[in-house]
Amino acid sequence: MIVDKIKKREPTAKRKTANIDIPVGKWIKCDECKEIIYRDTLRENLSICPNCGHYFRMHINKRLELVIDEGTYKKFDLNIETTNPLQIEEYPKKLKTLREKTGINEAVACGTGKINGEEVVICVMDSGFLMGSMGIVVGEKITYSIEQAIQRKLPLIIFSVSGGARMQEGIISLMQMAKTVSALTKLDEAGLLYISVLTDPTYGGVTASFASLGDIVLSEPKAMIGFAGQRVIEQTIGESLPEGFQTAEFLLEHGFIDKIVERKDLKDTLAKLIKYHKN
Amino acid sequence: MEQKKGDNGEAIAKSMFEMARLKVPIISIVIGEGSSGGALAIGVGNKVLMLENAIYSILSPEGYSSILWKDSSRYKEAAEKMRLTAKDLYDLKVIDKIIKEPQEENEEENFEKVAKTLKREIKNLILEMKQCTTEQIVEQRYEKFRNMGEYINL
Repeated sequence: MIVDKIKKREPTAKRKTANIDIPVGKWIKCDECKEIIYRDTLRENLSICPNCGHYFRMHINKRLELVIDEGTYKKFDLNIETTNPLQIEEYPKKLKTLREKTGINEAVACGTGKINGEEVVICVMDSGFLMGSMGIVVGEKITYSIEQAIQRKLPLIIFSVSGGARMQEGIISLMQMAKTVSALTKLDEAGLLYISVLTDPTYGGVTASFASLGDIVLSEPKAMIGFAGQRVIEQTIGESLPEGFQTAEFLLEHGFIDKIVERKDLKDTLAKLIKYHKN
Repeated sequence: MEQKKGDNGEAIAKSMFEMARLKVPIISIVIGEGSSGGALAIGVGNKVLMLENAIYSILSPEGYSSILWKDSSRYKEAAEKMRLTAKDLYDLKVIDKIIKEPQEENEEENFEKVAKTLKREIKNLILEMKQCTTEQIVEQRYEKFRNMGEYINL
């Protein structure tokens, strides 16, 4: 007993850091191993936990930095705003607060850039903005990007992370699925390459539209990908789900994903695929 | 079981993709409760009709209030907010036409009237679209969904 107590009191790594006077916001806790990590260390490590290898979700700018050659990203000149079709009172306020907090305008950024010298159209979603949900603005930006890829005869790369359709915009959000998919039929007709990269988590109307339709579908390790949430499916069908259901590894095994790519290899893999397709 | 393995997201995406490029006219009719990806997966039509008392929405009102307000008991309030009636959807330009449903006492007669109206509408639409070339059919459907959701240019 006494030994146990002594053990418990042994200062752990966490304890040690807790006793130091830490400037607020400099440290972050890993969801997986609970280790406290210095933010700069995390940043230098591609937002991967140096302790357990857990992938943190990436901010749009960090993602662009990861895959796009320095100084080559040009965002599309498309400044649009939702009409708030359901007239939800608190919604515009929420958008405003989020814009100030995150420094991004919407849940997706899109433009052109180079990947190891290869020019592409790129869209990157961000889970920090209303869980990367797709409303009118996201739907329009994705569709516009697809059209730009067709016009400029460029490959299209979309990094998805999303909770699905944006509830605040109701049925119009749902319609963005049909809109983006319709545009993809034209990209397909034009014979252009579309690589969809799924990151944790990709769900709902995004999975059920453009994210699933890549000529090549890549994913980051251990990403959770699905349409409905697991609890909802279990309650609906009255059965428990198989082990590992909705993980990238499970989906790879069942043919829904073509390859799982580690974050450090993403840029080179994309560049290689684009080059193969060119030849 | 197959659906369980992959979930049904990809199936919905592929269904919409094929509908969007189909070379023949598609008429979709919402006749009851249509919601979420499952409804839209068979809803990418050149013309979308809807029975007067049917509903068509992003999610069930229970699911909607559960996600947005973390409280599924607020489904009534959600149903009011969601704009899911045929009239709402016509105003939002999500559907093209509302099929009237008479509310006479004799239910069987009502049903027959609705069926007759539907038959007439379908026939008219087929005749109308017969005049179009394959290209026009695909393009009309594309434009319809391409323009879903008005936005403000800043």
